[in-house]
Amino acid sequence: MKTRRIAFLGLLIALAFVLSYVEFLLPLSIGIPGAKIGLANLVVMVALYTIGNKNAFLLSLVRVILVGLTFGNLAMMIYSMAGAMLSFLVMIIAKRTKLFSITGVSVLGGVFHNVGQILVAMFVLDTASLIYYLPFLIVIGTISGIVIGIISGMITARVGRLFDIK
Amino acid sequence: MKKNDLILIIVILALTAISVVGITVSRKMNKADVAYAVVTIDGNEYGRYPLDEDMVTTIELEDGSYNILEIHDGYAQISEASCRDQICVNHFPVHYSKEMIVCLPNRLIVEIVGGEENDVDGATN
Amino acid sequence: MKRLKIASVILIIFLIIFIWAVHSGRLFSDKADDSGEQIKYTATFMDIFDTRTEILGYANNEEEFSNQAELIKDRLVFYNNLYDIYNDYDGINNIKTINDNAGIAPVQVDEEIINLLKFSKDMYELTDGKVNIAMGSVLSIWHEYREYGSENPDRASLPTMDELKEANQHTNIENMIIDEKAKTVYLTDPEMSLDVGSTGKGYAVQRVMEYCREKGMDNILLSLGGNISGLGTRIDGTPFRIAIQNPDLTSTEPYIEKVDISDGQCVVSSGDYQRYYVVDDKVYCHIINPDTLYPAETFAAVSILTDDSGKADALSTAIYNMSLEEGMDFVNGLEGVEAMWVYHDGSKVYSEHFEESIVK
Repeated sequence: MKTRRIAFLGLLIALAFVLSYVEFLLPLSIGIPGAKIGLANLVVMVALYTIGNKNAFLLSLVRVILVGLTFGNLAMMIYSMAGAMLSFLVMIIAKRTKLFSITGVSVLGGVFHNVGQILVAMFVLDTASLIYYLPFLIVIGTISGIVIGIISGMITARVGRLFDIK
Repeated sequence: MKKNDLILIIVILALTAISVVGITVSRKMNKADVAYAVVTIDGNEYGRYPLDEDMVTTIELEDGSYNILEIHDGYAQISEASCRDQICVNHFPVHYSKEMIVCLPNRLIVEIVGGEENDVDGATN
Repeated sequence: MKRLKIASVILIIFLIIFIWAVHSGRLFSDKADDSGEQIKYTATFMDIFDTRTEILGYANNEEEFSNQAELIKDRLVFYNNLYDIYNDYDGINNIKTINDNAGIAPVQVDEEIINLLKFSKDMYELTDGKVNIAMGSVLSIWHEYREYGSENPDRASLPTMDELKEANQHTNIENMIIDEKAKTVYLTDPEMSLDVGSTGKGYAVQRVMEYCREKGMDNILLSLGGNISGLGTRIDGTPFRIAIQNPDLTSTEPYIEKVDISDGQCVVSSGDYQRYYVVDDKVYCHIINPDTLYPAETFAAVSILTDDSGKADALSTAIYNMSLEEGMDFVNGLEGVEAMWVYHDGSKVYSEHFEESIVK
């Protein structure tokens, strides 16, 4: 079982890495720093609902470091690390409470990913006015969270059975 | 999707909408309200003084020369200066955004930042 | 499951529309700096022509504007160095060089100096000698007394008439010999000197504005020590609005009039409130009447509105030196020149069409 889990984790990391690259390629700069649709979060969601919290956390961590080293710089890595960690924390809590389905968890993840990024950016750049971007980032996070939540729901419904590794 | 998910989404979007409205309104009000007299010496900012508080301050330069800045009823003026041309002292009190008083000998500028817009683009002197 | 699919498709479309809307600036347009809306900027320089320069323009961002402003500043510095009568600059023959070589040798100068001197001579002829750049010898006497008097108000004094008359022997503009082919200027009278205070600034502004127009710039307002010149209009198409300073500096009203200027128009004021000194409680200003050799004192200020900044500068000096009747006839006889006279009691007189530009 352990080998299977590791293989599956590796697969998901590769997938997240590719999706990050796809997002990096998409010319979606909308003039708002930190605005992303967070495609890679799709993989994190699937992991969270199939191979467990610990592995999903590992996936999230490795993805950020890999992507940061490959496509970005240190600053970008710090921002997305903050976003990833905050959103992961919130997602786990939301999942534990069992109040929400996968969609609700994903929405919270998307929103707090952006919140975490902008908070760190405010701290690093020492520019409080960045907070004006927050509402738009939240809206984007919510919408992409819904989409990703629904899709990852559909994926886990199928993949979860195939890779029943829990 | 659970019912809770929908509630969550609606709550998030509603909170965001409210905060956007709040920010926009407060920004607009700030724009109209907070005006400063910004003093720069030789291109470096020396200090900024809100126009809505009456005050008098002496701006001393390294070489011993000085300008006294007075703010009164939303207008800023130089009431006394060590420069010999006294153009800054004779200048009318400034109030509108972007208006300024210049003291060439002391290389000092008092400029109004923020506040009411003047409809005038330039002035002869 | 089918419902979920439809919901996802709708949401994805919504997301795309949302991003597109933000991106194109249709939403939150005040956030997007590069949405094509140009913002008003001003730049102020303190070190050109011994006065304050203000440039007002529109650009997409601050960097774009400061590039534009630097271009204008560089041109102004170029003219500042050429038209300087007090300072030398390395590798440049300027007006001071010409003065230093009066009676000694012709000086080779930049074409823009020759252009200014020719223009100044045209102004001399147009104003019947009321604007004379060859009056340097007289003006420098007043300059010295004024500088001394401003620094030592208790000991301020006036030059004697003999002194002025003696200097006035050396103010014949015909003794300024311009050789356009060799690009030289020679003052045949060794006691003579040029002072381009009444034309230099205005001419420089005019040339710089022509330069801006050639470079394709638009919507610029340039103010060089109150020589104001407009290129185009405000970005929204409305005319630039210029305030004319109240010569009564103790008044609470900073402006005495506001005028709207059309493309290429200029406003210049001359007055006794600008540069002056006080002897025995009487104000003596920097504008010297070539006929009396004394500061003119009929008006507190005179403003000229016309489409050439050099002309505006020269004419405001000339009219300040004339009586009202003389000046009125003169201005009304010129095409496209309007004037406003302000007396010391604050009363105003307008030329024929000046009032058409006034902001009601």
